[in-house]
Amino acid sequence: MIEFDHVSRSYGSKRAVDDLSLAVLRGELFALLGPNGAGKTTTIKMLVGLLRASHGAIRVCGHDMSRSPREAHLHLGYVPDEPCLYDKLTGREFLWFIADMFGMPRHVTQRRIADEIEHFELFEFVDDLTERYSLGMKQRLVFAAALLHDPSVLVLDEPMVGLDPRSVRIVKDLLHEKTRQGMTIFMSTHTLAMAEEMADRIGVMVRGHLRFLGTVGELREQMAIENTSLEQLYLQLTAVLPESEGSSPAHERG
Amino acid sequence: MVASFPASGDTQLLAPDAEARVFLRLRTTLVWQTVRWMCQHARLRLSLVTLLSAVFWASLYGIFYEAFTFVDSLHADVISLLFNAFFASLMVMLVFSNGILTYGSMYTSTQAKLLLTLPARSESIFGHMFRESLWFSSWGFVLLGSPMLVAYGVIREASWTYYVLLLPFMISFVVIPATVGSICCVAMAAWLPRMRMYAFVILLAACGSTAIWLGWSLIRSVGTEGLTATWLEKTISNLALTEHKLLPSWWLSSGLIEAARKGSDAANAWASLLDSLKFLALLVSNGLLVQVVGLWMARVAYRLGYSEVTGEVSVRRNRPLSRFDDFLMNIGSRRRRPVRLLLVKDLRVFRRDIAQWSQVAIFFGLLALYFLNLSHFNYNMTYRSLIGFLNLAVVGLILSTFTTRFVFPMISLEGRRFWILGLLPVHRDQIVWSKFLFSFIGGVVPCSLLLLMSDLMLDISMSLIVIHEICCLILCMGLSGIAVGLGAMMPDLQETSPAKIASGFGGTLSLVVSSLFIIFTVTVVALPIHVFTTLAAMAPPGLSPFRWAAGPWGMATAVGVVVAVGLLVTFIPLVLGLRAFRQLEA
Repeated sequence: MIEFDHVSRSYGSKRAVDDLSLAVLRGELFALLGPNGAGKTTTIKMLVGLLRASHGAIRVCGHDMSRSPREAHLHLGYVPDEPCLYDKLTGREFLWFIADMFGMPRHVTQRRIADEIEHFELFEFVDDLTERYSLGMKQRLVFAAALLHDPSVLVLDEPMVGLDPRSVRIVKDLLHEKTRQGMTIFMSTHTLAMAEEMADRIGVMVRGHLRFLGTVGELREQMAIENTSLEQLYLQLTAVLPESEGSSPAHERG
Repeated sequence: MVASFPASGDTQLLAPDAEARVFLRLRTTLVWQTVRWMCQHARLRLSLVTLLSAVFWASLYGIFYEAFTFVDSLHADVISLLFNAFFASLMVMLVFSNGILTYGSMYTSTQAKLLLTLPARSESIFGHMFRESLWFSSWGFVLLGSPMLVAYGVIREASWTYYVLLLPFMISFVVIPATVGSICCVAMAAWLPRMRMYAFVILLAACGSTAIWLGWSLIRSVGTEGLTATWLEKTISNLALTEHKLLPSWWLSSGLIEAARKGSDAANAWASLLDSLKFLALLVSNGLLVQVVGLWMARVAYRLGYSEVTGEVSVRRNRPLSRFDDFLMNIGSRRRRPVRLLLVKDLRVFRRDIAQWSQVAIFFGLLALYFLNLSHFNYNMTYRSLIGFLNLAVVGLILSTFTTRFVFPMISLEGRRFWILGLLPVHRDQIVWSKFLFSFIGGVVPCSLLLLMSDLMLDISMSLIVIHEICCLILCMGLSGIAVGLGAMMPDLQETSPAKIASGFGGTLSLVVSSLFIIFTVTVVALPIHVFTTLAAMAPPGLSPFRWAAGPWGMATAVGVVVAVGLLVTFIPLVLGLRAFRQLEA
């Protein structure tokens, strides 16, 4: 469902993502881990079409993101690290706009909006302007919008930021259910416990390279360390020398 | 070959017209919600804006009516010359302003980030963003242009068709430079991403230099020759560039002149109307053509440009300026160091915010240019003094817009960082005082220099220069006190946008109080010289209160009143602001 084919991306002289090759299958939840500046956000931005790869190709459901972005986006739902909304729209108006952009029939949209309002418990504020929402409320609305058209691939960039424990539980349960139904989920996170709990496979990126790809169990085997927490394994894997001096990408965060 | 998956049965890619309808629905909803919000939450601001716009429109209409009456009597070609020069300069400004607005909306806004991850065509996103930026860049043209064109129609006793055609002419004209600006922006973002700032500055400098050269040559020739027939011929030849027949500004002015022409008989009137419609058709067809080019450009270059702009590398900060900051932090006593640290922090934020310093530079730069040219006109002493006071008012009004737009929101903008300041060994009073000092020092240096320049160019007496400088000092203190005091009294710690904070109730109140303070200050010091002198001259011989008021004691009293009121206006809001800020719970 998701394919990175020898993908690289540079910022000036710095290579943020270097020769990334990766395939994520249908119904799989893949978690991308890595320290700050590892290239996670760049990878996600390339996957959703906000950044172009310097080399290589990215395919979503077989559609090349740089050649046919609209076809690829039709299969894609995206929850960014910071919610992107229209301040002067209500939550319901925003959901209608998203449904319209995906060409959904009105009767289907009405049903889906009602479902998402119920799933994410939006009913108390869905008719208020989004400028009045807290970060958690905005994030729940963005989740609802990303799932509204029932995408084949869901891309999540630090999805739990701003959510309260109850909302985190709702999202986790929903993601489990969606993967069981065949949805592919690609998620970047700093939360190791979440990756361990939810991901079928994890990828650990360090300085633009995919240093590990597999399950948590395989990671333990590969590191050949018994009775060690995932946190210690992760820290060993991502231990790198201090960043050499040079310019850093302006928007690179993950 | 990789197999592609079909989309879910409930989703589909939209046809271009369906996509356009979705965006139209979005815009309509946004406009409706904004208007509703303003009617519910910003009635004062809405009423003030409407009232001031109406006053502005009526004043402009009056000025243009008088100007056209005078100019029409000079020479038949003068109005055509003026129209061409006015619309040509407006065209250049629209190219730049729409280019900048397009950059903001298409490359740096969160909405662009959202739309680019939806299955929307690049050209549809461009079309949607273009309409938004077109509105922002052209409402000023309509507000400025409509009173001028209505006044022209009234002077020429134009038929109703002229007034009907005004709006179509203005809109079809605006579309052309606005689209050209957007096209340049999209092209530069995609193919000159690293050099776009340089390219922009070079273009701006070229256009600015041409405008200054034209303006300078006109002013110089008025100064040396006066408004003679030779001057007019020279001026027409200097402005021949703006009368080029391939310029949309020429099509607009020719179309409007034809539309306003009153034929001697019905056949002539019809011929003029038809000519006018031909120019309108020319504007509309060219507008549509550049729109097609714009849409094509967006299809080819928008996503590429967005990727280039988003993937830009940061630039290292300027070391000499950092050394200046170090110097500023380390001079003076240790006890005052926290205030200096806060000052340096605000100075750095100001330096790194292009929107702030570029607006300050442009407005003060234009004022400086105008002041430099004052010596080319011949005035008598009364006019010199009057213009000096008017310049004082203008400097104050421009400063008040900056204090309202940039200084008033400063305390509110600390909202998200309040915990940092709360944990530092800094008293809350020092935060408020540092904002006041930042605003006062930042205002008084350029304003007093500008006024000095104006007074020297006007060749005003030394005593009047001193009075102007005292007033300037008081104005800078008062305006800073109002903005900082009201900002501390009415902070909005949740809001992150300075524009929204400044446009709220507190910001509007700050602007209104500032304007009243400026009007009061300038009126009180100008009265003894202008009004009382005239009244004293008209009064019968002997003792007269006007004679006393027009003398040195009257002047000293006026300055004393201004200083006393200025101190009150500075410290009352500051004291109230300090008290409110001490009690604030973040």
